[in-house]
Amino acid sequence: MIIAENLTKRYVGKAAVDGISFEVGKGEVVGFLGQNGAGKTSTLRMLTGFMPPTSGSAIVAGYDIFHDSLQARRNIGYMPENVPLYEEMRVKEYLHFIARLHGMGGKQMRMRTGRVMELCRIADVRRRGIGKLSKGYRQRVGMAAALIHEPRLLIMDEPTNGLDPNQIRQVRMLIRDLGEEHTIFLSTHILSEVEAVCGRVIIIDKGRIKAEDAPQNLVDALRTAGTLFVEVEADPEQVEAAFREIEGVRKVHSRKLTDGWSKTRVVAESKTDVRRAVHSAVIAQGWPLRELVLRKASLEDAFVELTDVDHAG
Amino acid sequence: MRILTILFGKEMRAFFLSPVAYVVIALVMVLTGFSFKAALTILERTSSEGSLVIWTYSSYWFWLSFFPIFPLVTMRLFSEERKLGTLETLMTAPVRTWQVLAAKYGAALVFYAVIWLPSALYFFLFLGITGLDMVIPRGELIGSLLILFLSGALYLAVGCFASALTSNQIVAGVMAFTLCLMHFLLGVFSLNLANNLPTEIMEIVTYIAPHAHFQRFTRGLVDTRPIVYYLSLATFFLFLTHQALEYRRWRA
Repeated sequence: MIIAENLTKRYVGKAAVDGISFEVGKGEVVGFLGQNGAGKTSTLRMLTGFMPPTSGSAIVAGYDIFHDSLQARRNIGYMPENVPLYEEMRVKEYLHFIARLHGMGGKQMRMRTGRVMELCRIADVRRRGIGKLSKGYRQRVGMAAALIHEPRLLIMDEPTNGLDPNQIRQVRMLIRDLGEEHTIFLSTHILSEVEAVCGRVIIIDKGRIKAEDAPQNLVDALRTAGTLFVEVEADPEQVEAAFREIEGVRKVHSRKLTDGWSKTRVVAESKTDVRRAVHSAVIAQGWPLRELVLRKASLEDAFVELTDVDHAG
Repeated sequence: MRILTILFGKEMRAFFLSPVAYVVIALVMVLTGFSFKAALTILERTSSEGSLVIWTYSSYWFWLSFFPIFPLVTMRLFSEERKLGTLETLMTAPVRTWQVLAAKYGAALVFYAVIWLPSALYFFLFLGITGLDMVIPRGELIGSLLILFLSGALYLAVGCFASALTSNQIVAGVMAFTLCLMHFLLGVFSLNLANNLPTEIMEIVTYIAPHAHFQRFTRGLVDTRPIVYYLSLATFFLFLTHQALEYRRWRA
C-alpha cells in the first residue's frame, strides 16, 4: 500500500527526513514511532502529497505521490496533526463538504456520512458546531472525515494527542476496529499506543529508521530481559559481590535503605531468567528476603535503547 | 468545475458567517453616506462643475472607506487556514491549488461587489425622497462602478497574495493595506510635486497611479488602458499568490 524509497526532506540547512525506505502492506496497522522532531510529520506530509520530497519517491496505493498526486490523494484518508477542522461548520455539514470534494453527492454522500458518523460514534453531535465540540469528539470527527471516501489507506498523525485517558481509550478502540478492514499508518510518540493497536512498528530517530518489527520482537531483541529488584537485609557491597557471580547478570547496583535493608537492582542479559539463581544465592548467604520483583522489558526500553545516545554505549 | 462551485460556496458562506463582513458593510455604508452628504453640500453651496456622482466618489470620506476594505476582506483568506491547519486538509484532498485560489478570490470579488451596491442605491433613493427632477448621469455612474470594480480586482489580488504569505492575519492585513495605499499615494505625492518633476516621469506615474483613472472614469470616460492595466496586474498578483501557495511543493 505504501512503498517509500529513500524518502528525504531537507529544510534549509537540515534534513528532517534522511533517506528512509519502508513498505506497508495491505491490511497492516503500522505505527510510526519517534520522539517529537524525529521527522514523523514531515514523512506523513510527503506521503499525503502536502509537500514533495526533496529526493526519493513514494508510491501510495499504486500512484506516485509526486507525479500522480491527485490520484494518490483520492486513495488516502489523512488526519493531520491536531485535527484541523472548519470551526464555523456543523459536523454533518463538514462531512458533506469533504464528501463533495471527493466527488460524492446525493444519496451516496448521505449514506457514507451516516455510515462514518455511526462508525466514529458522532451521530449524536451531527448538528453541533465543530467549534463547540470537545477534543475527543473533534478527533472522531476528523477520523470520520478521513474515512468518508472509503480510502484504501488511512494515515493519522498523532491521533490521540491531547486527549484524556478515557478519550484515548475510545480512539484506540476505534483504530483497532478500523484496522480490521483498513490499512492504517499512524504516527505517535506514545509507546503504549503502538503496543495497543499496531501489528508492526517503525522507529524513526533524527530522520532515519532505527528499527522495524513487531512490537514484541523489538522487545525480545533487547539486550536485557528486564530488571530485577531484590530487597534483603545485608550489606550492599556483599550483596553486589554475591550477585555478580551469577551467570547472565549484566549489571548490579545496591544501596542501603534507611531501615537497614538494602535494595538491589539486577539487570540481566536478554533471554535469560536469573530469578532462580538470585534466590539460591540469597538462601546460601542466609539473608532475610522481603522482596523479589521482575519488571519485564517493555517497548519503552527498546525505544530508549534505540534512540537515546546516553544509553547506547 | 464542480469542485470550484463547492469551494466557492464554502468561501461565500464563510464570508457571510463572519462578523467582519457586516462590520465592513456597515463601515462602507456609513462612510459613503458621509461622502454622499459631502457631495450634496458642495453642490448646494456653490455652482460648481461636476455632478453628484463625481463629487461622491472623490470625497475624502470615500477614500477613507475605500482602503480599509481590502485588508479586512482578504486577510482571513489563507492566513486563517494556515493557522488552523485546515490548509493541510484542503490541500491533501483531491483539489488543485488554482481551484482553491480561484474560489477564494472569486468569493472575495463577489463580496466586494455586494459592499458597493448600497452606495449606488443612494442616488436613486435621493431622487425618490426629494422628488427632484434631476437626471443621474448614467455614464458617470457606470464608469464609477467600473473603476471601483477594476481597482478592487487588483487590490483584492494584492490582499490574497499578502494572506498567502503568512499565517498571521494582522501581518497579512497590514501588508495588504500598505501595498494598496502605497499605490494610491504614489499618485498623490507626484501630484504635489508635479511642477518639479520631468514630464516623462509624470506621464508614467499618471499611467500607474489610480488617481487619474478615478478622475477619468467617474466622469464617465471609460478608457481601455486602465482596464487592461488593472486586470493584468491583478492576474500577476494572483499568479504570485499561486506560487506562494505552491512554494511548499517545489523541489529544493
